[in-house]
Amino acid sequence: MLPGTRSPLAWVVHLSVVLLVLLWTLPTAGLLVSSFRDKDQIAVSGWWTALSTSSQNLVFRAPAGEGEEIVDGRYVLTGSVLEGPGGGRVSAFGFSSRAPAAFAPGETAELKDGVRLVVTGDGAFELSGAESFAGTRGQRIFYTAEVPPRFTTANYANVLTAAGLGRSFLNSMTVAVPATVIPILIAAFAAYALAWMRFPGRALLIAAVVGLLVVPLQMSLIPLLKVYNSVGQAFGFDPKSYIGIWLAHTGFGLPLAIYLLRNYMAGLPREVMETARVDGATDFQIFTRIVLPLSFPALASFAIFQFLWTWNDLLVALVFLGPQDDKLVLTGRLVNLLGSRGGDWEILAASAFVSIAVPLLVFFSMQKFLVRGLLAGSVKGG
Amino acid sequence: MNGYLCAGAATLALLAGAAAAQELKFAPGEDVRFNWASYDGFAEAYNLDGQSITIFGPWRGEDQVLVESVLAYFTAATGVTVSYSSSENYEQQIVIDTQAGSPPDIAILPQPGLIGDLAAKGLLVPLGDDTGAWLRDNYAAGESWVGLGTYAGADGAKALYAFPYKIDVKSLVWYVPENFEDAGYEVPGTMEDLRALTEEIVADGGTPWCIGLGSGGATGWPATDWVEDMLLRTAPPDVYDRWVTNDLPFTDPAITGAIKEFGWFARNNAFVDGGAAAVATTDFRDSPKGLFASPPKCYMHHQASFIPSFFPEGTELGRDADFFYMPAYAGKDLGKPVLGAGTLAMITRDGEAARAFIAFLKTPIAHEIWMAQSGFLTPFKAVNPEAYANAALKKQGEILLNATTFRFDGSDLMPGKIGAGAFWTGMVDYAGGKSAEDVAAEIQAEWDAIK
Amino acid sequence: MEQLWTALFTIVAGIAGAALYFWGSNWLLDRVFPAHAGDRSAASRNIARAALIRPWLFLGPALIALGLYLVYPVFASIWLSFHDRGGQGFVGLANYRWLVSDPGFRESLFNNFLWLLMVPAASTFLGLVAAALTDRIAWGNLARSLIFMPMAISFVGAAVIWKFVYDYRGEGSEQIGLLNAVVVAFGGVPQAWIAVPFWNNFFLMVILIWIQTGFAMVILSAALRGIPEETIEAAVLDGASGIQIFLRIMVPQIWGTIAVVWTTITITVLKVFDIVLAMTNGQWNSQVLANLMFDWMFRGGGDFGRGATIAIVIMVLVVPIMVWNIRNARAEAGDR
Repeated sequence: MLPGTRSPLAWVVHLSVVLLVLLWTLPTAGLLVSSFRDKDQIAVSGWWTALSTSSQNLVFRAPAGEGEEIVDGRYVLTGSVLEGPGGGRVSAFGFSSRAPAAFAPGETAELKDGVRLVVTGDGAFELSGAESFAGTRGQRIFYTAEVPPRFTTANYANVLTAAGLGRSFLNSMTVAVPATVIPILIAAFAAYALAWMRFPGRALLIAAVVGLLVVPLQMSLIPLLKVYNSVGQAFGFDPKSYIGIWLAHTGFGLPLAIYLLRNYMAGLPREVMETARVDGATDFQIFTRIVLPLSFPALASFAIFQFLWTWNDLLVALVFLGPQDDKLVLTGRLVNLLGSRGGDWEILAASAFVSIAVPLLVFFSMQKFLVRGLLAGSVKGG
Repeated sequence: MNGYLCAGAATLALLAGAAAAQELKFAPGEDVRFNWASYDGFAEAYNLDGQSITIFGPWRGEDQVLVESVLAYFTAATGVTVSYSSSENYEQQIVIDTQAGSPPDIAILPQPGLIGDLAAKGLLVPLGDDTGAWLRDNYAAGESWVGLGTYAGADGAKALYAFPYKIDVKSLVWYVPENFEDAGYEVPGTMEDLRALTEEIVADGGTPWCIGLGSGGATGWPATDWVEDMLLRTAPPDVYDRWVTNDLPFTDPAITGAIKEFGWFARNNAFVDGGAAAVATTDFRDSPKGLFASPPKCYMHHQASFIPSFFPEGTELGRDADFFYMPAYAGKDLGKPVLGAGTLAMITRDGEAARAFIAFLKTPIAHEIWMAQSGFLTPFKAVNPEAYANAALKKQGEILLNATTFRFDGSDLMPGKIGAGAFWTGMVDYAGGKSAEDVAAEIQAEWDAIK
Repeated sequence: MEQLWTALFTIVAGIAGAALYFWGSNWLLDRVFPAHAGDRSAASRNIARAALIRPWLFLGPALIALGLYLVYPVFASIWLSFHDRGGQGFVGLANYRWLVSDPGFRESLFNNFLWLLMVPAASTFLGLVAAALTDRIAWGNLARSLIFMPMAISFVGAAVIWKFVYDYRGEGSEQIGLLNAVVVAFGGVPQAWIAVPFWNNFFLMVILIWIQTGFAMVILSAALRGIPEETIEAAVLDGASGIQIFLRIMVPQIWGTIAVVWTTITITVLKVFDIVLAMTNGQWNSQVLANLMFDWMFRGGGDFGRGATIAIVIMVLVVPIMVWNIRNARAEAGDR
């Protein structure tokens, strides 16, 4: 612990962190709240108003004659504009789009041809006229309702029952887990060699790794697909396979993995390794018994990053695995959903949250692991 | 997919294949609206049990369900297993896949410009003269469809590479009939009336138009439809034809004039919901919702025949919403031009089953199954118009028939870099306040750069 | 269920294969050159030989993967940049000549420069502040988790999240975008944030800063914890204040890590693509190099020659970082 924790400065620290955290979580919180809101409310009022009663202008179409009764020689239609649970109060109504709030609840509106309309505060309406309403389009009733906050899980139900989501989930898992472990394994060995082994060309290799960090992924796609296809043709298998995408993610993730791990390992104290070497340990032993455990925090951090990248990736998956239904990953599935339902904010919000659920879960469960690793390592680097 | 697949992927793929078998939407032989004879005849002519093809198309979501319902008949008739796929960025996906040598068997694309690129790179298989002759004989205005599917190959020789299947009408204006009744507005019969109505709505305190150009990476495209529609209403069709090939430069007064016609509607704060600044950022899928707000945020929305998919849930066409033909100027004597778009099927990897699929598209049943469900128009003369699912589709079919001029979406005909790039960006800039001349000059400069 | 087992099997097989290589190759090497066999000189000769080979065993898979997935495409791109759109006909320097005269390229270069200036600096600074502050408080772990959270969010997710922040509705109607609601609450005029040329760059940058700060924080916080307690205790005894300790003792100690973070984020910025693609696709003058390249490469049939040329430019831009890193690596090698 640092000094100053008990000084007035401590308050400043706490406050600044609160502010920082608020700024960082607010956008996501907005999405979370939105995803639980009623789809009628989400597009008309800000998510921060979710808890207050909102005033909404809505339209209800009375049935075209179904259920009408004859009372005193007039055809009468009754019902409620506020269908379903949730309730609310009607504060005004009207029958024309020109004046949707012309009448107060309980007043009688005179429509053309002697048709009369009454809507009461609880939403009940009575429409009466000299002729049957059958064969008409059904009178539109405009009303302003004070709607209490409504939260629903329907948006999630909607997204989660979309066809193929479960399969896509498995596909994403099958892609992401090996695509995380393989590069770490490969990079750790390479990073150790670059940090602690002496051989000609080492500096050059380090420079090359840094250079490769910036190779834009998009550029590699076509040359690589060509290689894949010719290999696939030569050996007679489908070039778009899981092995292919694991290796692709490995290749693309390696420069950063090697770079980060090498920097971390290079910061490990030399004495520990010298001692081990004097005791007759080989490089392989030093690596597996000393460097690897000491580097655990760095390995864990990179594992989290790489998992998140592969899980959230869309481009590489589409190119190396393909857009076919049986191989589509979760991000691909959701992007398709967004394309076909792009105007539906409630679908957007819920599906975006579904897509980030796993990464968040992984992150929050791994973080403890990560922190423990950080604290357990007695020697740290920078 | 050839041979056996490696390790785990094999099992996964096989599982998927089993799941692909789908039930037929309409039982063969039952519904008299359908031409079952064409189905039976096709089924007899082709027996390709055990073969499989992959089809890559632009349809996702609900449209994917529809196309798969049609493909199920192909599978039932021939025994060919079909694996249909699409992707949000299908334009990029098809370039990547064909270029890298792993194309699908059949690609279906809505952009003739992109198809031309693929043909020029030698990535497409010619469909043959007999298919060209078939189109000429069986499609209404057949010659124009043959022209649409004909491109120069890698050797520079022109050949029919693409088969038009599924047409959309673009020259439509959507409105809520009851809102018009409430306010006492009439459906305009001429462009002069439409302009007058626009001004009348403003005078009454309303907002006439909802215009949204937002579409993620494709932001701007709805404006290109506007400009094309206006060009067909202000200049003869040959100007349009010369424009899409850049025989007539973008900077020509006819073109900038059409852009300004669009600007008359879209760049007036009083004419559009949210003001001119909202035009470029409003998502095109969000935009029509203003029609249904209370009180209405706008009275009219210009968009192609697909847009009802984005109307609020439960909206019934004909009752809650309807459309009218985007009228022509009475004073310009240019007839009744219609702007349309459509998708074209092409063979990207030759094979018996792929050829059979093109043959399948020549049967009336391949059109009727989709027509009977939702948004599908066809120029195929042999189909039964009674098969159209609703009155709205039939009405669109009539607009197509009554057209004195039919032109394919210009932005789709132009090279992809212009029609799906510079033109979009230019329209966004124009909506943002740049002058039509500047925008046209920029687009033209980009076009010069790719020649 | 069957798919689950297949997935599990492939996962295990893939990981086991990689593990087996490292263990197996080392076992083999120890067998061929046993360190404890025979007389002393033979053993030491064996150790020397093994030491010559072992680095390459360690590096082997990484080099092969890097070579295939990154080096080969680089050379393929250089080759492509001298060819026409289909990658067939040789066109010499025509693509490069086109590039320098292309206004779209100049716009992207300028925007990229802005991004390079802003994002790494802001992310690293905020990350360092967050790391230092959260280190001293009891609920630091929770705070860190929350700040790091955006890193876990896919670009699809981030695009939707920020849609709810930057959304614009016409003046007078109720704003559902957070930023405009705040502006309106303070009496301002709502703006279509991502459609305002020049300034929209900064609104897009905020998204990347929002994502990258967590990354910087995690790495820097690990480094801060690595500072030996003694140095800090010594400073405390000298009567240094918290801020002094932070600036004079801690920051210099982790300077190496700060540089690493800065470099990493700089490189991410050069490749920034998804955010721009999802939010504006380069419209309203917000184009950046990576998206411009993607555009030329795949949009509208694709022009591989020009796409590759832009890719080469991106790679050239990183040369200064490369040189600086090589120097660093050399200096370290000298220490050792």
